[in-house]
Amino acid sequence: MAAYEKKYVWSVLLRLFHWTFAPSIFILIVTGLYIHWPWTNTWLEGSHQFTMAVMRWIHFIAGMIFTCAVIARLYLWFFGNKYEKIWDFLPITARNVKNLFSTILYYAYLTDHHEERLGHNALAGTAYFFTILLAICQFITGLYLLYPENGFFVSLGSALFGTQQEARFIHYILNWYFAWFALVHIYIVIWNDIKHPEGLISSIFDGFKFAKKEQ
Amino acid sequence: MDRSLFMGGLPKTTSRRGFLRACAIATAAMGLPMEMVSKVAEAAEDPKRPRVVWLHFQECTGCSESLLRASHPDLANLILDLISLDYHETLMAAAGKQAEENLDKAVEEGNYLLVVEGGIPLKDGGIYCKIGGKTAVEILKKAAEKALAIIAIGTCAAYGGVQAAKPNPTGAVGVQDIIKDKPVINVPGCPPNPHNFLSTVLYYLTFKKLPPTDKFGRPLFAYGRKVHDHCERRPHFDEGRFAEQFGDVGHRLGFCLYKVGCKGPETYSNCPVIRFNDVEVWPVSVGNGCYGCTEPNFWDTMTPFHKRLPNVKIPGGKGIQASATEIGKAALGVTAAALAIHAGVGIAKKLATGSKSEE
Repeated sequence: MAAYEKKYVWSVLLRLFHWTFAPSIFILIVTGLYIHWPWTNTWLEGSHQFTMAVMRWIHFIAGMIFTCAVIARLYLWFFGNKYEKIWDFLPITARNVKNLFSTILYYAYLTDHHEERLGHNALAGTAYFFTILLAICQFITGLYLLYPENGFFVSLGSALFGTQQEARFIHYILNWYFAWFALVHIYIVIWNDIKHPEGLISSIFDGFKFAKKEQ
Repeated sequence: MDRSLFMGGLPKTTSRRGFLRACAIATAAMGLPMEMVSKVAEAAEDPKRPRVVWLHFQECTGCSESLLRASHPDLANLILDLISLDYHETLMAAAGKQAEENLDKAVEEGNYLLVVEGGIPLKDGGIYCKIGGKTAVEILKKAAEKALAIIAIGTCAAYGGVQAAKPNPTGAVGVQDIIKDKPVINVPGCPPNPHNFLSTVLYYLTFKKLPPTDKFGRPLFAYGRKVHDHCERRPHFDEGRFAEQFGDVGHRLGFCLYKVGCKGPETYSNCPVIRFNDVEVWPVSVGNGCYGCTEPNFWDTMTPFHKRLPNVKIPGGKGIQASATEIGKAALGVTAAALAIHAGVGIAKKLATGSKSEE
């Protein structure tokens, strides 16, 4: 029986990031899909029911929180602790490249070899990296759509994404990316939590993971 | 539908083309598929024109006026060609005793469409509106007896209108409150859109029955949808951009008129779609809110006309965008504070340990 010890991995700020980012994504997907297809229109809309307006309001507020969460994560890429810093999990070092491929094989049930590490594995880290990049695209297109008369957001949005309609299309497609990401993320986290005694799920609540005690 | 149908106006004499155009407009207004145009036209050109008796009671003749306005002569022509108008106080040549005889003769023969314009007073035996020594209620009851169906044109005939407003000194009511044994269809509005009247008549001629109605007896094809849902200023409402008072910046920029009293969210009519006078206008398009004139008792329930609807919460308080912006700024402030605390703690730790802290 291997002995385990508690290791502090996720800082308060990272956990705050996670718990603002995750619910905001959920709310944004639900309200975003409603705004895309307001299926209750005319029978719910009334003199005291403004479903569309309320959905948009919630969507915009959740979007603001989403944006702030992304900013916090960007900060932690460079100023976080050892596990939160970008070079700990991006496949830019020999150790991480090796880990990236071994994780893919491991997740595909092609090998039983599994590298114990406290931070993100390189596959998860790469996925999170691109998710944050896409999140940046998402909030820039969102702000471009929300402030169609604001010079800053219009020049930024049109330079990066083109017309309002093109930005809306990207915004809509990315909405589905986040829905897909959330599902895969939750599945893999549960899968990992079942397979390994490191306490992956609880670590996002209290910050602690469990590592094998070095003899 | 091609907007030019409304824009171009129609020639003074009803040409074949103008006739079919008007039939197409009416078919579209009824919400019927375009394949029905030929059927509607067939019904409209039937040489056996239905006889119509048009009664005026407590009213301003605005409904007749709006129907006959010179800006759409073909519509009026069509209606007058379509029907055999046996009695219409404003239009007929006869007067006095001769006119009354016409009415008696028409009523005697029966089988006519009865169009009623204006409210009917009931108080004190109905003495507050008399024509030829007979009270309005007496005339209506007699005329209704042998009518095929009754069309109540305008809010007065439908629900009593302005004279029925509190305290209703003459006890005015609408046709449907008096006549219970005949099909009554309401085409309310102050005035109603003539296209809706034409479409109701054409519907009756095409299908030999009155169109389906809502609970207030209004044809669903014209009054089935809320003004608010088809309003061209609706995006401003959803965005929280309002004219705060007449003549302010928001009003000049064409923002939503909700805060200056528009009753669009409570009013069912096709005004934003059909519009008026063939020149693409309706109240909201010219900067005045909807008064809700197609709704029963709107003089009581929709007043004051230039104040907001009571108990209607504007989404997001100050509007969606403004509210979200405020919250966004606050969230950004909290984030900045969190990052600053994180950075501060990091620096303090580094100073305390005197070495690179790694955890």
